[in-house]
Amino acid sequence: MTTEVFVPKIPYGTRDLLQGDANRKRNIEAALGKLFASWGYDEVVTPTIEYLETLSVGNATDLQHNMFKFFDKSNRILALRPDMTTPIARVAATRLRERALPLKLFYLTNVFRYEEAQAGRQCEFYQAGIELLGVSDPTADAEVIAIAVEAMLEAGLTSFQVSLGQVEFIHGIMNECGLPLTQQQAVKQSLVKRDLVGMGEILQNSGLCPTAQKILTQVPVLHGRQDMLKQAYDMVTNQTSRNALDNLSEIYNILVSYGVDKYVNFDLGIIRDFEYYTGMVFEGYTPGLGFPLCGGGRYDKMVSSFGVDCPATGFALGIERILLAMERQGIAISPDSKDIYIGWNKGMFDAAIVEASQQRRAGKTVELAFKPQSQLEAATSQVAKGYNKLTYIGG
Amino acid sequence: MTSSDLNYLTVALPKGKLFAPSAKMLADIGYTAEGLSEKSRKLVITNEEEKIRFIITKTADLPTYVEYGAADVGIIGKDVLLEEGKDVYELLDLKFGFCRLMVAVPQALQQEKLSDYAHMRVATKYPRVAERFFSSMGIQMEIIKLNGSIELAPMVGLAEMIVDIVETGRTLKENQLIEVAQIHPATARFIANRVSFKMKFDRINRMVEDLKTLMEGGVNGENSSC
Repeated sequence: MTTEVFVPKIPYGTRDLLQGDANRKRNIEAALGKLFASWGYDEVVTPTIEYLETLSVGNATDLQHNMFKFFDKSNRILALRPDMTTPIARVAATRLRERALPLKLFYLTNVFRYEEAQAGRQCEFYQAGIELLGVSDPTADAEVIAIAVEAMLEAGLTSFQVSLGQVEFIHGIMNECGLPLTQQQAVKQSLVKRDLVGMGEILQNSGLCPTAQKILTQVPVLHGRQDMLKQAYDMVTNQTSRNALDNLSEIYNILVSYGVDKYVNFDLGIIRDFEYYTGMVFEGYTPGLGFPLCGGGRYDKMVSSFGVDCPATGFALGIERILLAMERQGIAISPDSKDIYIGWNKGMFDAAIVEASQQRRAGKTVELAFKPQSQLEAATSQVAKGYNKLTYIGG
Repeated sequence: MTSSDLNYLTVALPKGKLFAPSAKMLADIGYTAEGLSEKSRKLVITNEEEKIRFIITKTADLPTYVEYGAADVGIIGKDVLLEEGKDVYELLDLKFGFCRLMVAVPQALQQEKLSDYAHMRVATKYPRVAERFFSSMGIQMEIIKLNGSIELAPMVGLAEMIVDIVETGRTLKENQLIEVAQIHPATARFIANRVSFKMKFDRINRMVEDLKTLMEGGVNGENSSC
């Protein structure tokens, strides 16, 4: 009988990032941070834990179910942040009140959601994102989308697609035909899941007139390029929906100027699973990844639930998802190269230290042996540790 | 060999009773491949001309293949979707494989109302569906997960009730079981991976439209076994 070895476990849905992965993650985060900064965004860091009531603002029950919660000393409920949008809205409303708008912020951080874990979808995961607060014009939305495209290009992805939607489009239709609020919720739920069969059942039982039913059942397949917007425009008569489509056209025209329009199409069925969105919403997809790579949109009401009126728009991108997509698409991302291994003979340690310092100052990655070695031993160490070059101080 | 190849469409079909009608329906809209049969020893059957791949999976696993994008689209019973709760797009009710998820008890144990069954043991292949149904009624039950021959459980005293899928109810009758509540009707559904639905939208949407046309034409419906 073999004796059982004690193996310490880590909690469900978490993972260790070891040498190569951690290095790749760091590099991609650095590249994204640089990209965001080049568009004039400033990094912010907020606490990992917040009060549950803060994180629940703007998010009804759904997200709360998936938060990791615990108590502080005075028994108030704390939670690990499930995203960065809410904490940034809090910061903007409380700490940055006096700053001139627009506020342009970015973050690179971990967030926590209790989900069924799978590759690219852990309970603790890393996000890079931006929030642009204080501008309600389509120029802001277009900037956010353009940065999202740039971010995916920066990561080396070439085959990806951004789909744009507008939550007001379906709201306009549902309000126009007087669908009761509870049923509106049900329709939105089934739209998020693209449960078209379930949606058909809800509509059939809703008592709506057949024309309204027909339009609503078409929303999930309103998918295409600019000609689809025209088609959708003719389908609806209410002003809210038409404004939503005009808004998408304006954003698209700016994206043409940015030269990223070839990555963008429209999908009016996108409403995203966060309830705080009020306008344009978008998701980015890439082949080989069964879920969106990035997503975002406009959320004009959320900051005001913290007491300050402030329109806002933004997006977040999953770092692990980017890495996974690159791996699956065979985009080589080798970790940083290791340059020089320095071995030394007895009595030559001082000279070896001098050599190592010089090379490090010259920007090389250098490992210095801890014990004297023969040249052969040093060569073996160099290969085993993956260094490109050996310097042997033999004396 | 995943759905990351944008030129190919991977279709997942379930083993078992839904296989034949599903394969026929797809063949009617031009989606088929040489040697596509449930008994095929090949795990992946490809139609190079039409750029279609078929994979045949165990029923309960099918939504998983689609959720992860290993298959772009698939056909599967609503009962499996309800139980597995996977994140897939449900695009079309194919209106065959009619059956229902329901609660049944042995005649001798029949009670007046559902809440009278509280705290009894329920044997089922669908533990999540059963749990959700009873808790939505505010009834606590002890759920026992089995992998088949559910009707056996009340006969040998493993459970008092069962939650199972029935088509005609004949098996229930033969085992002196009485249906006391319906949980959900179920038919075959056409499902899609959420990213494939975007990246291969034109192709998948055309399939949905073709299937709809086919169903309106009434070509389907010859086989409705569950």
